[in-house]
Amino acid sequence: MVTALDDRPATPANVLGAHHPVGASTGFLRDAGDWPAQVRAAIAVSPFAAELAALSAGEFDTLEAWLHTLPPLPFRYLSVHAPTKDLDGDEAALVVRLAALPAVVRAIVVHPDVMEDPRAYTRVGSRLVVENMDDRKAFGQTADDLTSVFAVLPEAGLCLDVAHVSAVDPSMDLAHELLDRFGPRLRQLHVSSLVEGEHAPLTEHDAERFREVLRRCVDVPWILEAPAA
Amino acid sequence: MSTEPRPEPAAGALLRLCDRADTDLPALRHARALTAARLDERRAALCTLPHDRDTAVVLCGSWGRGEITHASDDDWWILVDGPARAGVRPLPQAVAAALDEVPPGTEGLFGTVAFREDLRGLIGLAQDTNANFTRRMLLVLESVAVTGQPAWSATRRAVLAGYLGATPRDYRPPRFFLNDIVRYWRTITVDFEGKDRTRSGDGWGLRAAKLRTSRKLLFASGLLPILECHRLPADAMLDTLVADFAAPATDRIAAAFLRYDAVDLGVRVLAAYDRVLTLLGDPEVRAQLVALTDADAGSSAAFREIRMLADQLQAGLLSLLFDDRRLAPVVREYAIF
Repeated sequence: MVTALDDRPATPANVLGAHHPVGASTGFLRDAGDWPAQVRAAIAVSPFAAELAALSAGEFDTLEAWLHTLPPLPFRYLSVHAPTKDLDGDEAALVVRLAALPAVVRAIVVHPDVMEDPRAYTRVGSRLVVENMDDRKAFGQTADDLTSVFAVLPEAGLCLDVAHVSAVDPSMDLAHELLDRFGPRLRQLHVSSLVEGEHAPLTEHDAERFREVLRRCVDVPWILEAPAA
Repeated sequence: MSTEPRPEPAAGALLRLCDRADTDLPALRHARALTAARLDERRAALCTLPHDRDTAVVLCGSWGRGEITHASDDDWWILVDGPARAGVRPLPQAVAAALDEVPPGTEGLFGTVAFREDLRGLIGLAQDTNANFTRRMLLVLESVAVTGQPAWSATRRAVLAGYLGATPRDYRPPRFFLNDIVRYWRTITVDFEGKDRTRSGDGWGLRAAKLRTSRKLLFASGLLPILECHRLPADAMLDTLVADFAAPATDRIAAAFLRYDAVDLGVRVLAAYDRVLTLLGDPEVRAQLVALTDADAGSSAAFREIRMLADQLQAGLLSLLFDDRRLAPVVREYAIF
């Protein structure tokens, strides 16, 4: 394709401004308050797409309870990030709760390195989306790692975290390998830069570095894991 | 930066896209093979019937798309490459008997006779009945000749020529054709709601699944070749449209993605559709969808998956239409008003 990124500098503003939809992860909107407040903040970024990030077990408890009240939400695409911290070890129970999230949740993002028994997640069905991991994780970074996960979860999709890729392979060749291998599974992107291991606004350097990967992903929602610069 | 889209005929484009991406679309491949095999059976059953030289027996819908499943109906009619007349052979009753079907009524959309002059000449206004309009769209978008290939080809060419009119304009997509295709899609979407009200939701799940996937893909497969006329001189449009619309809808879609070098998107769209075909070909899933109501949709894993696939399909098509800098201005100029 010849996209808006092909004849203008790949600045963060140009990269993000040219795409639709770009939505916010509430992971960087926690200061807004409770879930309704975080959602209002996410809507201010985009009413089209968002990710509700319940990264700890406690956050998931409150998010789950709130979602089951069926609040009216405007998003055309809504994902929930499943918890990765403070888990109580009862994976089967967590999977049951994830699978029971209301239908307004179109995707449920999981980290492969915290899946003790990937087969257990079959119950989540086609809403399950597996995210590639960064260089600090022991598993889930490479195409071979994810192949083993998708082998037992054939309905699952892929969330490509471009910042995680860049931490594993600064050349970004890994991203192309993941897209070559799992392209039809791609459901969404996580877009940010990593600064000292933390998600940070997309930098000028990364905007240029990620350009070719992003060009291959213009048809899926891009979820910001840090504010737009 | 602006490079010309690559020349890409529709015929065979699905396989070429698979080759480019080194991928397989097994449900589509299987459906095409099944369609071809069943068409041979239908041809064998009809070949002994006496035919007038200007007639064809036409199958449409999933037959024309090369996507039949074991649940597909034989939606056929007899096409005449000429004006209305009586005594057309073969008789509908004879075709129905040869296909081992219940004899058709005289008022239905299928199992009757349609004439080129009606399909080509009666466009718009009250004369363009719902049956005439639908048959014309089916003929152009998703039909295949079981018998009488020359009559089928000639009628399709005549209908397309009718859309272009006497004075097609260089590098201008034919508005008349474009508007009729858009009208058809919008009619389908409005009729979906109408059926929902009159049938009290019966069959909602299956109809909703088809509307979001095969119907939408079919619309796009008509829209894209018409928009592509913006790159053609007037004297090349008819032959190009005839060739493109002779290919199955998924070939036309694949060709568009190849033309704009959007292989990643094209594979995602058609892989999603491939999965839809697998689901709709599963008798259990089909039965579940038939019984599903709008209110229960969220509780059905199959419907949730189809909705997700439909979103993926739509997102890829919209991205092609609006994100490619060569196509987006054409969409803006012609596709909305």
